[in-house]
Amino acid sequence: MGSHPTSAPTTLVDLLDRSADARPGAMALADGRARLDWRTYRERADRVAAALSVAGVAPGDRVGVSMPKSVDAFVAVHGVLRAGAIVVPVDRLAPAEYGRSVLIHSGACAVVSSQPPDRLAEVLDGTDVTRVVDPTGDLPAPVTAPTGRRPDDDAYIIFTSGSTGRPKGIVHTHASALAYADAAVETYDLGPGDVLTNIAPLHFDQSTFELYAAPLAGSATIVVPDGLARFPASVAALVADERATVWYSVPFAISQLVERGALAEHDVSSLRWVLYGGEPFPPAALRRAMAAIPSARFSNVYGPAELNQCTYHHLDAPPPDEMAIPIGRAWSAAQVMLVDDDDRRIDGTGEGELLVAGPTMMRAYWNAPDLTGAAVVERDGARWYRTGDRVRRRPDGDLVFQGRTDHQVKVRGHRIELEAVDAALADHPAVEACAALVDRRGDDRVVAVVAPAPDASTERDLIRHARARLPGYAVPTRIVGLGTLPRTGTGKVDRRAAERIYIDLDDRRDDDPAP
Amino acid sequence: MIPDANSISTFTDELVAFIDRDVSAGHEPVEADTDLVMTGLVDSLGVVLIVEWLEERLGIRIDPADVVIEHFDTARSMVDYLRSRGDCTVD
Repeated sequence: MGSHPTSAPTTLVDLLDRSADARPGAMALADGRARLDWRTYRERADRVAAALSVAGVAPGDRVGVSMPKSVDAFVAVHGVLRAGAIVVPVDRLAPAEYGRSVLIHSGACAVVSSQPPDRLAEVLDGTDVTRVVDPTGDLPAPVTAPTGRRPDDDAYIIFTSGSTGRPKGIVHTHASALAYADAAVETYDLGPGDVLTNIAPLHFDQSTFELYAAPLAGSATIVVPDGLARFPASVAALVADERATVWYSVPFAISQLVERGALAEHDVSSLRWVLYGGEPFPPAALRRAMAAIPSARFSNVYGPAELNQCTYHHLDAPPPDEMAIPIGRAWSAAQVMLVDDDDRRIDGTGEGELLVAGPTMMRAYWNAPDLTGAAVVERDGARWYRTGDRVRRRPDGDLVFQGRTDHQVKVRGHRIELEAVDAALADHPAVEACAALVDRRGDDRVVAVVAPAPDASTERDLIRHARARLPGYAVPTRIVGLGTLPRTGTGKVDRRAAERIYIDLDDRRDDDPAP
Repeated sequence: MIPDANSISTFTDELVAFIDRDVSAGHEPVEADTDLVMTGLVDSLGVVLIVEWLEERLGIRIDPADVVIEHFDTARSMVDYLRSRGDCTVD
């Protein structure tokens, strides 16, 4: 039993087979409450797949996954894949309106969810979803029917809130996801002895590391539940108890672990890798983190969700100064190119937009050829993704992120189009003009300046208004009123000037003696 | 609904009003026993905002080791935790 060598998977459908055949009884998943070995992980996924097939879900159908983070969430994703269907993670904590638009836009016909029916009904209202499978409920016996999936078929779609408020779906194929998993296993030398820590939610592309690279390598995964993830000391205890070896998250979660994780009481020296990505790590905070977890090698991971990952930069020593940490150089599954404002290739040192090519690239944006055409360009016989990131190449070849070519920002790893926040505020009748900003002086808080100045009750109403339209991380935590907003020569709101005014006002407020 | 200034009578009410007004990501009103964490009403930054507010309002330091889910899943759990410290008066 299980002694025959399993050939390398060609789709995500049979990804679990490799570890389930090779080490059926070894731990695969744990979440602080439940633990699953590889045999059970596969069997439970096959029960979900059977339930979806019985419900009439066919290969190629889109299936929403709306689950609290747990071992069952991972089972749900692989269950959908093993039914041959396409995974559409749905943020269960986002406003119902947003979840609904993701389901409608993807054309999902079924959902895997353990949520209470009343909350789910609110999200499903007006969608084409007619079937719901609860992976924690009674499920049929596992059967694996051949799905006929090929490497170029679509495997999953990750939605981000686009600049117009219409969700943008990043479609990955089985081949592009496996190319990522392969390169991740190689770059971080993952194996059966590793225990990965899943911090990111399923609708965030970082989770593909634990969903797909872990079963390829035979590494176990600790799935940190959503609720627990807000409490660094509880997360530190889980890392210590499970002897986690690899951590991957946004810098914010690492700083939280280091500053509020009570690491003197929780021994996290089992960590050999701390990977961060999604946004830059301020060097001073990174030095503190490296000092607090000396057992681990730290590495900067760079790559938009359209490619999962493109470059890496391993830190062999703490950053000596406050210069930005490089995003490093292309990993084995990517080629990079810099182009200037006239689209001319920059060889050697210089600064320009970063273009990336490679087998990990998405197939397209879901049902949006206009967006795909603007982002993916043919050049020198290859498909290149225009990242929209301005990058500088240093003399030593390392790349350094310099900023965006548009108004997209990252807040605790989440992509936010500032125009989308503007739009959510601007359709409130009390707002004539507004500009959303990120206050980078502490925990990266989204704030907004608004004209005319709202009174206290209007300000509260504005925040509620934004909450109904935006995911939580994009909702301004503060709204500051101004008589008028600064404008550029062309009459547009001058976001940089507005930011200076905001910080100036805020500093003065802090200097006021307490009443 | 958010209680207006006159109806805030206890520290718990004040804390609930703060969470409802400045932290909660939901549309439903927050109450003292609302599960803030598993429902996703409060995210990581929300926990930080609550801890900052409590420290400032009560003039105390909250040890990171005390910021665990058992003490912060509802407003009532927070008040129970604060009472158990014995160094601040809350009602």
